[in-house]
Amino acid sequence: MGARLSLRAVAKTFGTGPSAVHAVGPADLTVPAGGFVSLVGPSGCGKSTLMLMIAGLEPPSAGEITVNDEPVTGPRTDIGIMFQDNTLVPWRTVRGNIELNLELRGLDPRAYADRIDDLIRKTHLTGFEHRRPYELSGGMQQRAAFCQALVHEPQTALLDEPLGKLDAMTRELIRGDLQALWLTSRPTVVFVTHSIEEAVQLSTTVCVITPRPGRIERVIDIDLPWPRDRAVKRSRAFGDQVAEIQEIFHAYGVL
Amino acid sequence: MPTASSEGEAPRGLNRIAGIAARWVGKSWLFVLFFVSLFVFWEIGVDLFEVPRYILPKPSTIVEKGWADIDRLLYYTYITGLETVLGYGISVIIGVPFGLAIAFSSILRRTVYPLFVSIEMVPKIAFAPLFISWLGFGLLPKVIIVILVCFFPIVLNAILAFGSLSEELTRFCRSTGANAWRTFLKVRLPAALPQCFVGFKYAAINATVGATIAEFIGSDQGLGFYIQIVTGNMRPDLAFAGIFLLTLLGLTLFGLVTLAERLLIPWHISVRRR
Repeated sequence: MGARLSLRAVAKTFGTGPSAVHAVGPADLTVPAGGFVSLVGPSGCGKSTLMLMIAGLEPPSAGEITVNDEPVTGPRTDIGIMFQDNTLVPWRTVRGNIELNLELRGLDPRAYADRIDDLIRKTHLTGFEHRRPYELSGGMQQRAAFCQALVHEPQTALLDEPLGKLDAMTRELIRGDLQALWLTSRPTVVFVTHSIEEAVQLSTTVCVITPRPGRIERVIDIDLPWPRDRAVKRSRAFGDQVAEIQEIFHAYGVL
Repeated sequence: MPTASSEGEAPRGLNRIAGIAARWVGKSWLFVLFFVSLFVFWEIGVDLFEVPRYILPKPSTIVEKGWADIDRLLYYTYITGLETVLGYGISVIIGVPFGLAIAFSSILRRTVYPLFVSIEMVPKIAFAPLFISWLGFGLLPKVIIVILVCFFPIVLNAILAFGSLSEELTRFCRSTGANAWRTFLKVRLPAALPQCFVGFKYAAINATVGATIAEFIGSDQGLGFYIQIVTGNMRPDLAFAGIFLLTLLGLTLFGLVTLAERLLIPWHISVRRR
Protein backbone atom coordinates (compact mmCIF):
# COMPACT_ATOMS: atom_id res chain seq x y z
CA MET A 1 0.00 0.00 0.00
CA GLY A 2 1.15 3.47 -0.81
CA ALA A 3 2.24 6.40 1.31
CA ARG A 4 0.16 9.43 2.32
CA LEU A 5 1.36 12.68 0.76
CA SER A 6 0.57 16.14 1.94
CA LEU A 7 1.58 19.57 0.61
CA ARG A 8 0.89 22.64 2.73
CA ALA A 9 1.34 26.12 1.19
CA VAL A 10 4.25 24.83 -0.91
CA ALA A 11 5.87 27.47 -3.11
CA LYS A 12 8.98 27.64 -5.25
CA THR A 13 10.85 30.72 -6.40
CA PHE A 14 13.93 30.43 -8.60
CA GLY A 15 16.60 33.08 -8.15
CA THR A 16 16.47 36.17 -5.93
CA GLY A 17 15.84 39.88 -6.25
CA PRO A 18 14.18 41.47 -9.26
CA SER A 19 15.11 38.54 -11.56
CA ALA A 20 13.42 35.99 -9.30
CA VAL A 21 10.85 33.74 -10.95
CA HIS A 22 7.88 32.67 -8.92
CA ALA A 23 7.38 29.20 -10.42
CA VAL A 24 4.93 27.41 -8.16
CA GLY A 25 2.39 27.91 -5.47
CA PRO A 26 1.33 28.33 -2.86
CA ALA A 27 -0.05 24.84 -3.41
CA ASP A 28 -2.04 22.67 -1.00
CA LEU A 29 -2.78 19.04 -1.70
CA THR A 30 -3.45 15.84 0.18
CA VAL A 31 -3.04 12.49 -1.52
CA PRO A 32 -4.47 9.50 0.36
CA ALA A 33 -2.46 6.28 0.56
CA GLY A 34 -2.84 4.37 -2.69
CA GLY A 35 -4.22 7.36 -4.60
CA PHE A 36 -3.37 8.06 -8.21
CA VAL A 37 -3.11 11.82 -8.62
CA SER A 38 -2.54 13.45 -11.98
CA LEU A 39 -1.16 16.95 -12.32
CA VAL A 40 -2.53 18.30 -15.58
CA GLY A 41 -1.55 21.58 -17.13
CA PRO A 42 0.23 23.26 -20.01
CA SER A 43 4.03 23.36 -20.46
CA GLY A 44 5.91 25.46 -17.98
CA CYS A 45 3.18 25.47 -15.34
CA GLY A 46 5.45 24.05 -12.63
CA LYS A 47 4.15 20.47 -12.63
CA SER A 48 7.64 19.01 -12.80
CA THR A 49 8.94 21.37 -10.13
CA LEU A 50 6.12 20.28 -7.85
CA MET A 51 7.06 16.65 -8.45
CA LEU A 52 10.76 17.25 -7.80
CA MET A 53 9.87 18.94 -4.49
CA ILE A 54 7.81 15.92 -3.41
CA ALA A 55 10.81 13.71 -4.28
CA GLY A 56 13.01 15.90 -2.11
CA LEU A 57 15.22 16.66 -5.10
CA GLU A 58 14.36 20.36 -5.07
CA PRO A 59 13.75 22.21 -1.78
CA PRO A 60 10.56 24.28 -1.61
CA SER A 61 11.03 28.01 -0.98
CA ALA A 62 8.08 27.99 1.40
CA GLY A 63 5.61 25.55 2.92
CA GLU A 64 5.96 21.93 3.96
CA ILE A 65 5.70 18.56 2.27
CA THR A 66 5.16 15.39 4.28
CA VAL A 67 5.19 11.72 3.34
CA ASN A 68 3.35 9.61 5.91
CA ASP A 69 3.41 12.69 8.18
CA GLU A 70 7.20 12.83 7.97
CA PRO A 71 8.59 16.10 6.56
CA VAL A 72 10.60 15.84 3.33
CA THR A 73 14.02 17.39 3.92
CA GLY A 74 16.19 15.67 1.32
CA PRO A 75 16.02 13.09 -1.50
CA ARG A 76 13.60 10.33 -0.52
CA THR A 77 14.75 6.81 -1.25
CA ASP A 78 11.35 5.19 -0.71
CA ILE A 79 10.01 6.54 -4.00
CA GLY A 80 10.26 5.40 -7.60
CA ILE A 81 10.92 8.20 -10.02
CA MET A 82 10.59 8.41 -13.77
CA PHE A 83 11.11 11.21 -16.26
CA GLN A 84 10.07 11.98 -19.82
CA ASP A 85 13.68 11.31 -20.87
CA ASN A 86 14.22 7.89 -19.37
CA THR A 87 17.16 6.99 -17.17
CA LEU A 88 18.13 3.82 -19.03
CA VAL A 89 21.89 3.64 -19.59
CA PRO A 90 23.18 2.33 -22.95
CA TRP A 91 25.90 0.10 -21.48
CA ARG A 92 23.39 -2.14 -19.71
CA THR A 93 20.69 -4.45 -21.01
CA VAL A 94 17.02 -4.04 -20.07
CA ARG A 95 17.51 -6.39 -17.14
CA GLY A 96 20.80 -4.72 -16.22
CA ASN A 97 19.08 -1.35 -16.19
CA ILE A 98 16.37 -2.63 -13.86
CA GLU A 99 19.09 -4.06 -11.63
CA LEU A 100 20.95 -0.72 -11.71
CA ASN A 101 18.28 0.83 -9.47
CA LEU A 102 18.77 -1.99 -6.95
CA GLU A 103 22.57 -1.86 -7.13
CA LEU A 104 22.57 1.91 -6.54
CA ARG A 105 20.55 1.22 -3.39
CA GLY A 106 23.02 -1.41 -2.27
CA LEU A 107 20.43 -4.17 -2.72
CA ASP A 108 21.29 -7.61 -4.11
CA PRO A 109 19.65 -7.98 -7.56
CA ARG A 110 19.54 -11.78 -7.12
CA ALA A 111 17.10 -11.35 -4.26
CA TYR A 112 14.80 -9.51 -6.67
CA ALA A 113 15.06 -11.96 -9.60
CA ASP A 114 11.41 -13.05 -9.32
CA ARG A 115 10.20 -9.47 -8.95
CA ILE A 116 12.14 -8.49 -12.10
CA ASP A 117 10.75 -11.49 -14.06
CA ASP A 118 7.26 -10.50 -12.97
CA LEU A 119 7.68 -6.86 -14.02
CA ILE A 120 9.16 -7.86 -17.39
CA ARG A 121 6.20 -10.15 -18.00
CA LYS A 122 3.62 -7.58 -16.96
CA THR A 123 5.13 -4.88 -19.17
CA HIS A 124 5.35 -7.29 -22.14
CA LEU A 125 9.11 -7.16 -22.37
CA THR A 126 9.63 -10.92 -22.29
CA GLY A 127 12.29 -11.84 -24.84
CA PHE A 128 13.83 -8.38 -24.73
CA GLU A 129 15.43 -8.47 -21.29
CA HIS A 130 18.91 -8.95 -22.75
CA ARG A 131 18.58 -6.20 -25.34
CA ARG A 132 20.15 -2.81 -24.88
CA PRO A 133 17.93 0.29 -24.78
CA TYR A 134 19.02 1.51 -28.24
CA GLU A 135 17.79 -1.77 -29.74
CA LEU A 136 14.24 -1.10 -28.49
CA SER A 137 11.42 1.10 -29.75
CA GLY A 138 10.52 4.21 -27.79
CA GLY A 139 7.52 2.47 -26.25
CA MET A 140 9.58 -0.51 -25.11
CA GLN A 141 12.19 1.81 -23.64
CA GLN A 142 9.53 3.50 -21.53
CA ARG A 143 8.19 0.09 -20.43
CA ALA A 144 11.70 -0.84 -19.35
CA ALA A 145 11.97 2.50 -17.56
CA PHE A 146 8.77 1.69 -15.62
CA CYS A 147 10.33 -1.57 -14.47
CA GLN A 148 13.50 0.28 -13.49
CA ALA A 149 11.57 2.88 -11.47
CA LEU A 150 9.33 0.37 -9.69
CA VAL A 151 11.61 -2.63 -9.09
CA HIS A 152 12.31 -1.83 -5.43
CA GLU A 153 8.54 -1.80 -4.71
CA PRO A 154 8.35 1.87 -3.73
CA GLN A 155 5.39 3.13 -1.71
CA THR A 156 5.27 6.19 -3.92
CA ALA A 157 5.83 6.54 -7.65
CA LEU A 158 6.49 9.96 -9.17
CA LEU A 159 6.04 9.82 -12.93
CA ASP A 160 6.93 12.99 -14.85
CA GLU A 161 5.32 12.73 -18.30
CA PRO A 162 6.54 9.16 -18.76
CA LEU A 163 4.50 8.78 -21.97
CA GLY A 164 5.17 12.30 -23.25
CA LYS A 165 7.36 11.35 -26.19
CA LEU A 166 5.36 8.37 -27.43
CA ASP A 167 2.89 8.14 -30.27
CA ALA A 168 -0.84 8.01 -29.47
CA MET A 169 -1.24 4.27 -30.08
CA THR A 170 1.72 3.28 -27.95
CA ARG A 171 0.55 5.62 -25.18
CA GLU A 172 -2.82 3.95 -25.16
CA LEU A 173 -1.24 0.49 -24.83
CA ILE A 174 1.17 1.44 -22.07
CA ARG A 175 -1.55 3.26 -20.09
CA GLY A 176 -3.36 -0.06 -19.83
CA ASP A 177 -0.25 -1.80 -18.48
CA LEU A 178 0.41 1.04 -16.08
CA GLN A 179 -3.13 0.87 -14.73
CA ALA A 180 -2.92 -2.91 -14.29
CA LEU A 181 0.36 -2.53 -12.38
CA TRP A 182 -1.09 0.15 -10.13
CA LEU A 183 -4.27 -1.83 -9.44
CA THR A 184 -2.30 -4.88 -8.24
CA SER A 185 -0.02 -3.18 -5.71
CA ARG A 186 -1.70 0.23 -5.22
CA PRO A 187 1.31 2.49 -4.61
CA THR A 188 0.59 6.20 -4.31
CA VAL A 189 1.22 7.74 -7.71
CA VAL A 190 1.82 11.33 -8.72
CA PHE A 191 1.53 11.49 -12.48
CA VAL A 192 2.41 14.53 -14.57
CA THR A 193 0.77 14.82 -17.98
CA HIS A 194 -0.49 17.23 -20.64
CA SER A 195 -3.28 14.90 -21.65
CA ILE A 196 -6.64 15.40 -19.94
CA GLU A 197 -7.96 12.12 -21.29
CA GLU A 198 -4.92 10.27 -19.96
CA ALA A 199 -5.37 11.87 -16.56
CA VAL A 200 -9.07 10.98 -16.36
CA GLN A 201 -8.43 7.39 -17.43
CA LEU A 202 -5.68 6.68 -14.90
CA SER A 203 -6.46 8.78 -11.85
CA THR A 204 -8.43 8.74 -8.66
CA THR A 205 -7.88 12.51 -8.53
CA VAL A 206 -7.01 15.08 -11.18
CA CYS A 207 -5.37 18.37 -10.22
CA VAL A 208 -5.87 21.13 -12.72
CA ILE A 209 -2.76 23.35 -12.71
CA THR A 210 -2.73 26.86 -14.19
CA PRO A 211 0.54 28.52 -15.11
CA ARG A 212 2.79 31.35 -13.89
CA PRO A 213 2.91 30.82 -11.03
CA GLY A 214 1.73 27.21 -11.08
CA ARG A 215 -1.34 26.86 -8.88
CA ILE A 216 -3.56 23.89 -8.18
CA GLU A 217 -6.70 25.49 -9.53
CA ARG A 218 -9.11 22.59 -9.00
CA VAL A 219 -8.94 19.15 -7.46
CA ILE A 220 -11.40 16.78 -9.10
CA ASP A 221 -12.13 13.27 -7.87
CA ILE A 222 -12.75 10.91 -10.76
CA ASP A 223 -15.57 8.59 -9.86
CA LEU A 224 -15.51 6.01 -12.65
CA PRO A 225 -15.36 2.21 -12.38
CA TRP A 226 -12.05 0.23 -12.51
CA PRO A 227 -10.40 -0.96 -14.61
CA ARG A 228 -10.95 1.91 -16.99
CA ASP A 229 -10.94 -0.09 -20.18
CA ARG A 230 -12.32 0.75 -23.61
CA ALA A 231 -15.91 0.34 -22.46
CA VAL A 232 -15.44 2.92 -19.69
CA LYS A 233 -13.63 5.30 -22.04
CA ARG A 234 -16.57 5.12 -24.46
CA SER A 235 -19.07 5.88 -21.70
CA ARG A 236 -20.95 9.13 -21.37
CA ALA A 237 -19.59 9.77 -17.88
CA PHE A 238 -15.97 9.56 -19.10
CA GLY A 239 -16.63 12.01 -21.90
CA ASP A 240 -18.40 14.42 -19.54
CA GLN A 241 -15.49 14.30 -17.11
CA VAL A 242 -12.95 15.11 -19.85
CA ALA A 243 -15.18 17.91 -21.16
CA GLU A 244 -15.56 19.42 -17.67
CA ILE A 245 -11.78 19.70 -17.26
CA GLN A 246 -11.38 21.09 -20.76
CA GLU A 247 -13.90 23.81 -19.84
CA ILE A 248 -11.84 24.79 -16.79
CA PHE A 249 -8.71 25.27 -18.92
CA HIS A 250 -10.78 27.11 -21.49
CA ALA A 251 -12.04 29.51 -18.83
CA TYR A 252 -8.41 30.32 -17.93
CA GLY A 253 -7.54 30.95 -21.55
CA VAL A 254 -5.24 27.96 -21.73
CA LEU A 255 -7.26 25.84 -24.14
CA MET B 1 28.63 -5.06 -34.74
CA PRO B 2 26.59 -6.97 -37.33
CA THR B 3 29.47 -9.35 -38.16
CA ALA B 4 29.85 -10.59 -34.58
CA SER B 5 27.90 -13.81 -35.07
CA SER B 6 29.81 -14.89 -38.18
CA GLU B 7 33.10 -14.20 -36.38
CA GLY B 8 32.15 -16.63 -33.65
CA GLU B 9 31.85 -19.47 -36.15
CA ALA B 10 35.13 -18.72 -37.93
CA PRO B 11 38.04 -21.14 -37.37
CA ARG B 12 40.69 -20.23 -34.83
CA GLY B 13 44.25 -18.96 -35.25
CA LEU B 14 45.80 -18.01 -38.57
CA ASN B 15 42.67 -18.81 -40.56
CA ARG B 16 40.77 -16.42 -38.38
CA ILE B 17 43.28 -13.62 -38.89
CA ALA B 18 43.23 -14.33 -42.65
CA GLY B 19 39.45 -14.14 -42.51
CA ILE B 20 39.49 -10.77 -40.78
CA ALA B 21 42.07 -9.48 -43.29
CA ALA B 22 39.99 -10.78 -46.20
CA ARG B 23 36.89 -9.07 -44.83
CA TRP B 24 38.83 -5.84 -44.37
CA VAL B 25 40.08 -6.01 -47.96
CA GLY B 26 36.53 -6.79 -49.08
CA LYS B 27 35.26 -3.65 -47.37
CA SER B 28 38.23 -1.42 -48.25
CA TRP B 29 39.41 -2.71 -51.63
CA LEU B 30 38.87 0.67 -53.24
CA PHE B 31 41.09 2.34 -50.67
CA VAL B 32 43.73 -0.41 -51.01
CA LEU B 33 43.70 0.01 -54.79
CA PHE B 34 44.03 3.79 -54.46
CA PHE B 35 46.85 3.46 -51.95
CA VAL B 36 48.80 0.95 -54.06
CA SER B 37 48.30 3.12 -57.18
CA LEU B 38 49.80 6.09 -55.33
CA PHE B 39 52.99 4.13 -54.65
CA VAL B 40 53.12 2.76 -58.19
CA PHE B 41 52.75 6.31 -59.53
CA TRP B 42 55.50 7.45 -57.18
CA GLU B 43 57.80 4.60 -58.28
CA ILE B 44 57.24 5.23 -62.01
CA GLY B 45 57.01 9.01 -61.70
CA VAL B 46 60.49 9.41 -60.19
CA ASP B 47 62.04 7.71 -63.26
CA LEU B 48 59.64 9.28 -65.73
CA PHE B 49 60.26 12.88 -64.64
CA GLU B 50 63.94 12.17 -63.86
CA VAL B 51 63.70 13.43 -60.30
CA PRO B 52 67.19 13.45 -58.76
CA ARG B 53 67.44 10.78 -56.02
CA TYR B 54 68.78 13.30 -53.47
CA ILE B 55 65.43 15.14 -53.88
CA LEU B 56 62.92 12.25 -53.95
CA PRO B 57 63.92 8.57 -53.91
CA LYS B 58 61.75 5.76 -55.29
CA PRO B 59 59.76 3.64 -52.81
CA SER B 60 61.80 0.60 -53.83
CA THR B 61 65.02 2.48 -53.03
CA ILE B 62 63.59 3.52 -49.66
CA VAL B 63 62.80 -0.09 -48.79
CA GLU B 64 66.16 -1.35 -50.05
CA LYS B 65 68.32 1.24 -48.29
CA GLY B 66 66.16 1.22 -45.20
CA TRP B 67 66.50 -2.54 -44.95
CA ALA B 68 70.30 -2.16 -45.10
CA ASP B 69 70.13 0.06 -42.00
CA ILE B 70 67.31 -1.85 -40.31
CA ASP B 71 69.12 -2.52 -36.99
CA ARG B 72 69.60 1.15 -36.28
CA LEU B 73 66.11 2.01 -37.50
CA LEU B 74 64.44 -0.59 -35.29
CA TYR B 75 66.44 0.48 -32.24
CA TYR B 76 65.49 4.11 -32.84
CA THR B 77 61.85 3.08 -33.34
CA TYR B 78 62.05 1.47 -29.93
CA ILE B 79 63.52 4.66 -28.41
CA THR B 80 60.91 6.96 -29.95
CA GLY B 81 58.18 4.45 -29.16
CA LEU B 82 59.29 4.36 -25.52
CA GLU B 83 59.17 8.17 -25.26
CA THR B 84 55.76 8.23 -26.92
CA VAL B 85 54.20 5.44 -24.87
CA LEU B 86 55.60 6.72 -21.56
CA GLY B 87 54.46 10.30 -22.22
CA TYR B 88 51.07 9.17 -23.46
CA GLY B 89 50.50 6.69 -20.64
CA ILE B 90 51.45 9.20 -17.96
CA SER B 91 49.15 11.79 -19.60
CA VAL B 92 46.20 9.38 -19.42
CA ILE B 93 46.99 8.28 -15.86
CA ILE B 94 47.23 11.82 -14.47
CA GLY B 95 44.93 13.55 -16.98
CA VAL B 96 41.74 11.66 -16.20
CA PRO B 97 41.85 12.17 -12.39
CA PHE B 98 42.74 15.84 -13.00
CA GLY B 99 39.71 16.19 -15.27
CA LEU B 100 37.53 14.48 -12.69
CA ALA B 101 38.75 16.78 -9.91
CA ILE B 102 38.22 19.91 -12.01
CA ALA B 103 34.73 18.79 -13.08
CA PHE B 104 33.65 18.44 -9.45
CA SER B 105 35.51 21.26 -7.70
CA SER B 106 34.23 24.78 -8.21
CA ILE B 107 37.52 26.18 -6.86
CA LEU B 108 39.61 24.22 -9.37
CA ARG B 109 37.15 25.15 -12.10
CA ARG B 110 37.76 28.83 -11.42
CA THR B 111 41.55 28.54 -11.06
CA VAL B 112 43.22 25.58 -12.78
CA TYR B 113 40.65 25.18 -15.56
CA PRO B 114 41.11 28.63 -17.17
CA LEU B 115 44.88 28.11 -16.86
CA PHE B 116 44.63 24.80 -18.71
CA VAL B 117 42.43 26.31 -21.41
CA SER B 118 44.97 29.13 -21.88
CA ILE B 119 47.87 26.66 -22.08
CA GLU B 120 45.95 24.61 -24.65
CA MET B 121 45.91 27.75 -26.81
CA VAL B 122 49.73 28.01 -26.65
CA PRO B 123 51.62 26.07 -29.33
CA LYS B 124 53.17 23.79 -26.73
CA ILE B 125 55.97 22.69 -29.01
CA ALA B 126 57.38 26.18 -28.45
CA PHE B 127 58.33 25.04 -24.95
CA ALA B 128 60.38 22.15 -26.30
CA PRO B 129 63.76 23.96 -26.57
CA LEU B 130 63.34 25.21 -22.98
CA PHE B 131 62.77 21.71 -21.62
CA ILE B 132 65.80 20.42 -23.53
CA SER B 133 67.95 23.22 -22.10
CA TRP B 134 66.63 22.58 -18.57
CA LEU B 135 66.76 18.81 -18.58
CA GLY B 136 69.41 17.85 -21.12
CA PHE B 137 69.49 15.29 -23.92
CA GLY B 138 68.09 12.23 -22.16
CA LEU B 139 64.75 10.44 -22.16
CA LEU B 140 63.09 12.67 -19.54
CA PRO B 141 62.74 15.93 -21.56
CA LYS B 142 61.24 13.96 -24.48
CA VAL B 143 58.70 12.27 -22.24
CA ILE B 144 57.81 15.64 -20.73
CA ILE B 145 57.30 17.20 -24.17
CA VAL B 146 55.04 14.29 -25.17
CA ILE B 147 53.10 14.85 -21.93
CA LEU B 148 52.87 18.55 -22.75
CA VAL B 149 51.26 17.68 -26.08
CA CYS B 150 48.96 14.87 -24.78
CA PHE B 151 47.94 16.01 -21.32
CA PHE B 152 45.72 19.00 -22.14
CA PRO B 153 43.39 17.43 -24.70
CA ILE B 154 42.96 14.50 -22.31
CA VAL B 155 42.19 16.75 -19.32
CA LEU B 156 39.87 19.08 -21.20
CA ASN B 157 37.86 16.20 -22.64
CA ALA B 158 37.73 14.47 -19.24
CA ILE B 159 36.35 17.66 -17.66
CA LEU B 160 33.67 17.77 -20.33
CA ALA B 161 33.01 14.03 -19.89
CA PHE B 162 32.56 14.04 -16.12
CA GLY B 163 30.68 17.34 -16.10
CA SER B 164 27.91 16.40 -18.51
CA LEU B 165 25.84 13.65 -16.91
CA SER B 166 22.17 14.29 -17.77
CA GLU B 167 20.01 16.01 -15.18
CA GLU B 168 17.63 13.02 -15.19
CA LEU B 169 20.36 10.50 -14.40
CA THR B 170 21.80 12.77 -11.71
CA ARG B 171 18.35 13.03 -10.06
CA PHE B 172 17.72 9.31 -10.46
CA CYS B 173 21.00 8.51 -8.70
CA ARG B 174 20.25 10.97 -5.89
CA SER B 175 16.79 9.47 -5.40
CA THR B 176 18.32 6.04 -4.80
CA GLY B 177 20.41 7.38 -1.92
CA ALA B 178 23.57 5.98 -3.54
CA ASN B 179 26.77 7.53 -2.19
CA ALA B 180 29.21 9.43 -4.43
CA TRP B 181 31.52 6.44 -4.94
CA ARG B 182 28.78 4.03 -5.99
CA THR B 183 27.22 6.64 -8.29
CA PHE B 184 30.64 7.24 -9.82
CA LEU B 185 31.38 3.57 -10.41
CA LYS B 186 27.99 2.55 -11.75
CA VAL B 187 26.89 5.64 -13.67
CA ARG B 188 29.31 8.57 -13.92
CA LEU B 189 32.40 6.66 -15.04
CA PRO B 190 30.80 4.56 -17.80
CA ALA B 191 28.79 7.58 -18.97
CA ALA B 192 32.01 9.62 -19.22
CA LEU B 193 34.08 7.10 -21.20
CA PRO B 194 32.96 8.07 -24.74
CA GLN B 195 33.97 11.72 -24.29
CA CYS B 196 37.21 10.64 -22.56
CA PHE B 197 38.09 8.61 -25.64
CA VAL B 198 37.75 11.71 -27.82
CA GLY B 199 40.67 13.13 -25.83
CA PHE B 200 42.59 9.83 -25.81
CA LYS B 201 42.41 9.55 -29.60
CA TYR B 202 43.32 13.17 -30.25
CA ALA B 203 46.30 12.82 -27.93
CA ALA B 204 47.35 9.53 -29.57
CA ILE B 205 47.55 11.29 -32.95
CA ASN B 206 49.74 14.03 -31.51
CA ALA B 207 51.99 11.95 -29.25
CA THR B 208 54.49 10.94 -31.96
CA VAL B 209 54.59 14.55 -33.19
CA GLY B 210 55.74 15.62 -29.72
CA ALA B 211 58.40 12.91 -29.51
CA THR B 212 59.76 13.63 -33.01
CA ILE B 213 60.06 17.37 -32.50
CA ALA B 214 61.68 16.87 -29.11
CA GLU B 215 64.28 14.68 -30.82
CA PHE B 216 64.79 17.25 -33.58
CA ILE B 217 65.72 19.84 -30.98
CA GLY B 218 68.19 17.90 -28.99
CA SER B 219 68.99 14.21 -28.85
CA ASP B 220 71.48 11.56 -29.87
CA GLN B 221 69.04 8.78 -30.68
CA GLY B 222 65.48 8.12 -31.87
CA LEU B 223 63.74 8.41 -35.23
CA GLY B 224 63.52 12.22 -35.06
CA PHE B 225 67.28 12.39 -34.51
CA TYR B 226 67.81 9.87 -37.32
CA ILE B 227 65.66 11.79 -39.85
CA GLN B 228 67.52 15.01 -39.09
CA ILE B 229 70.97 13.45 -39.43
CA VAL B 230 70.30 11.51 -42.65
CA THR B 231 68.61 14.55 -44.24
CA GLY B 232 71.73 16.55 -43.44
CA ASN B 233 73.76 13.82 -45.19
CA MET B 234 71.63 14.13 -48.34
CA ARG B 235 70.00 10.74 -47.77
CA PRO B 236 66.24 11.37 -48.26
CA ASP B 237 65.81 7.61 -48.85
CA LEU B 238 66.74 6.92 -45.23
CA ALA B 239 64.69 9.91 -44.03
CA PHE B 240 61.65 8.39 -45.72
CA ALA B 241 62.40 5.02 -44.12
CA GLY B 242 62.36 6.80 -40.75
CA ILE B 243 59.12 8.59 -41.62
CA PHE B 244 57.48 5.27 -42.55
CA LEU B 245 58.44 3.78 -39.19
CA LEU B 246 57.19 6.88 -37.36
CA THR B 247 53.89 6.58 -39.20
CA LEU B 248 53.71 2.91 -38.27
CA LEU B 249 54.38 3.85 -34.64
CA GLY B 250 51.61 6.46 -34.65
CA LEU B 251 49.19 4.08 -36.35
CA THR B 252 49.94 1.35 -33.81
CA LEU B 253 49.26 3.66 -30.87
CA PHE B 254 46.06 4.96 -32.45
CA GLY B 255 45.00 1.41 -33.32
CA LEU B 256 45.52 0.24 -29.73
CA VAL B 257 43.46 3.16 -28.39
CA THR B 258 40.70 2.40 -30.90
CA LEU B 259 40.80 -1.26 -29.86
CA ALA B 260 40.47 -0.26 -26.21
CA GLU B 261 37.54 1.95 -27.17
CA ARG B 262 35.80 -0.97 -28.90
CA LEU B 263 36.32 -3.20 -25.89
CA LEU B 264 35.29 -0.64 -23.27
CA ILE B 265 32.37 1.12 -24.94
CA PRO B 266 30.94 -1.29 -27.55
CA TRP B 267 27.55 0.21 -26.72
CA HIS B 268 28.42 3.73 -27.83
CA ILE B 269 26.97 5.04 -31.07
CA SER B 270 30.37 5.97 -32.50
CA VAL B 271 31.55 2.36 -32.10
CA ARG B 272 28.24 0.71 -33.13
CA ARG B 273 28.13 2.59 -36.44
CA ARG B 274 31.46 1.16 -37.63
